[in-house]
Amino acid sequence: MNDSEQPSAGGRRSVKQLKVSAEVAKYQRDWFKATQERLSAGEPFCLANADAPHEIFLTMDDIPVVMTQWWSAIISAKQMSGYYFDGMNKKGYPRDLCRYCSLPLACAMDHRPEQAPWGGLPSPTLLLAQLSCDVHTKIFERMAREYKCAFFPMEYSAPRPIYPRWWEKLETEWKEVIGSDVLDLRVEELKGLIRYLETTTGRVFSHKKLTEIMALENEQEEYFKKIRDLLASTRPCPVGLPDQLAATMNLQWHRGTQWGVDHARMFYEEVLERVDGGEVVCRDEKVRLMWIGRGLWHNTAFYQYFEEKYGAVFTNSMYLSIAADGYIRDSLNDPLRALASRHLYMGYCLRDPEWQLNEAKRYGVNGAVMIVASNCIDSVGSRFIEMVLEEGGIPVLPIQADVVDAREWDDEKIQAQVSTFIEERCIPR
Amino acid sequence: MGPLETMRKYYEQRDLAAREWKAGGGKVVGYVSDDVPEEMILAAGFFPQRMSGDPSSNTEEADKYTETFYDPSVRSILNMMLTGKYDFLDFIIIPHSSDSILKLYHQMWWIHRINPAITFPPVYLFDILHLPLYTTGQYVRDRVRELKRKLEEWSGKTLTDEALSRAIAIGNENRSLLKTVAALRAVEPPRLSGCEALRIIGASAFMLKEEHNKLLKQFLEGSRELPARKGVRIFIEGSDLDNLQLYGLIESCGALVVAEDSNWGNRYFEDPADESCDPLEAIADRYHLRPSRIRIQSIDQRVRYCRRNVAEARAQGAVFFIYEWDPAPAWDLPDQKKALEEMGIPTLSFDAQKYSLSDVKKKEIKDSVQRFIQTIGTRQ
Repeated sequence: MNDSEQPSAGGRRSVKQLKVSAEVAKYQRDWFKATQERLSAGEPFCLANADAPHEIFLTMDDIPVVMTQWWSAIISAKQMSGYYFDGMNKKGYPRDLCRYCSLPLACAMDHRPEQAPWGGLPSPTLLLAQLSCDVHTKIFERMAREYKCAFFPMEYSAPRPIYPRWWEKLETEWKEVIGSDVLDLRVEELKGLIRYLETTTGRVFSHKKLTEIMALENEQEEYFKKIRDLLASTRPCPVGLPDQLAATMNLQWHRGTQWGVDHARMFYEEVLERVDGGEVVCRDEKVRLMWIGRGLWHNTAFYQYFEEKYGAVFTNSMYLSIAADGYIRDSLNDPLRALASRHLYMGYCLRDPEWQLNEAKRYGVNGAVMIVASNCIDSVGSRFIEMVLEEGGIPVLPIQADVVDAREWDDEKIQAQVSTFIEERCIPR
Repeated sequence: MGPLETMRKYYEQRDLAAREWKAGGGKVVGYVSDDVPEEMILAAGFFPQRMSGDPSSNTEEADKYTETFYDPSVRSILNMMLTGKYDFLDFIIIPHSSDSILKLYHQMWWIHRINPAITFPPVYLFDILHLPLYTTGQYVRDRVRELKRKLEEWSGKTLTDEALSRAIAIGNENRSLLKTVAALRAVEPPRLSGCEALRIIGASAFMLKEEHNKLLKQFLEGSRELPARKGVRIFIEGSDLDNLQLYGLIESCGALVVAEDSNWGNRYFEDPADESCDPLEAIADRYHLRPSRIRIQSIDQRVRYCRRNVAEARAQGAVFFIYEWDPAPAWDLPDQKKALEEMGIPTLSFDAQKYSLSDVKKKEIKDSVQRFIQTIGTRQ
């Protein structure tokens, strides 16, 4: 998310401090506009879930890919999610269905792209998702009907919690961590996707180019790791969560490019400069908080509510941490297999209580606020995160809310909950 | 006791046959959903016990560890495991049938990790996937072979092709007999109520199939003498219902449930395994490619299935009943309703329903169903 996503009503805008946040946000806007222009000339375009391999598309002469979760975040930041969800509910879809992944569908069902944020999403020529949730088949099929385009599904093999401290092993032992059978299947699916794109777009897939892209990604994610380590070890916190989210996510959508590497380096250098210059989010930092779960896209200002009153700073979330721990692969002699390994278990890794505890300790947080969305199956398992963190000495406050749908968000009530949590459980005695 | 009463007994006392088997020195493998090849468990010499929830009891123990917002029937199974209701199981197989069922596997793992005093029998995760694609089929074949090895490890014996072929034949006979039973509901007038049918079908998952086949044959031999039933013919769509609460309410209003789209109902016995090929291939094909599955199938496929089965059952109305936190059928709902209404079939929907219906809720549902049935009667 970035400064440009001004809410039209309701939500509040976060204040960002990094130059790189503004720069990458502007780049994303410009990229989107340029993409709209490219597509009007009839180029292919893919709408995919965030855990889909956009690297394949980048390899094939940079077929543009937009991620559904990014688009959801944009719609949400523009405070339009309620409008679209109301419309979908009126069409007979019950209100308690998942929101984060279905908001682009709700927007597509409206059939008025000119009213949508940023001039609306162009019609995709392909939809892509791994079926990591029961309803992805349904959502993407409905979306394919709205856009009159094809849907390319990929299987989601069941993750097994057999690799403790996977974050120390993924980079070098990813074949063992993920498992050969699962990798074999995903590699075959990627080959199928490549063949599909070759035959439908006429573009060429280059093994050499994929190798280069994967190497650039490693380089970019290495910067994220350095940034994460720097932020985790610096007191007071030099860069707040809104900046971290904006810079990390806008860069992640362009991973595998030289631009991504250059701006990840800029991100790192700017953080380092702030650390060296003693610049901080909150001079009187008393409480360090971790955010567990997806970003609160309809109200990123929430992360800054508690700085003045309590000296409470949200220091970290999963986004930068998974960039540091979940993406790098050392064996690029088989880039397709390395790519296959990237997203298979990422959803499980993100919800691994022991990884969350490890990150909480790395950042030295005094407490964690965990968003729990009852409409999303990913939130099932939050209790284990809570138990493991509490057992590890980290107080946890679960808050029931949705990250893109503000219709049920009660700002006053949640602020009061977090305030009580900070006062009673987080302020060091 | 007649065959119908016997099957009713085993449907209601779901652990009875397994405990009897266990008392005789046998071992029991519990499994969740209809995605686990029962034939393989049987061929390996175990008693296959399908695990189901219990809407008459709470989920207090499960709620200590898990959220309340996932498939409530699966949450009930976890609670039953934590409260010793499944203490007779020697092994458990959990398939990758749905998000909630996969979560059940992870929950058991984490509960033991957090509280080592809580133990479960050895659990195997059967990673069955369902896209009707060649690549998925190859993966499923490997998982079926892996399951065979796991069962051999558990039993200490080789699972032979002969034993598996025999188990497949017994399973197919069961499916064929159940299909004949289903025809007793589809005829006009029906000879069987929906509640009776669910008990007969459900008992198949709680008994040895050979015993169930004997009871089915006895029942069918006397089926010509079954009285004709009267009532508005209703089709049930939505969540998989492992209990009789809804059917009881509907049929108490003077309607008859003549068919359903449920893996505890007619969907349980569709699609026999191919007996003419290698038995492991037959198993892999059947469990990979069965045509109707709520979660993985596209809305279009689900609509076609619903339309076809409503027509075949000559249903006069359809009732959609969807549990809270069971989103897959809810995504099908608008298109299925529209399709049925285009066929002239009126529909009644209950979404976000509790697994255990309170008396107040039961009355609400009953009132709605009564009005619905009156409307159908008026229309016709």
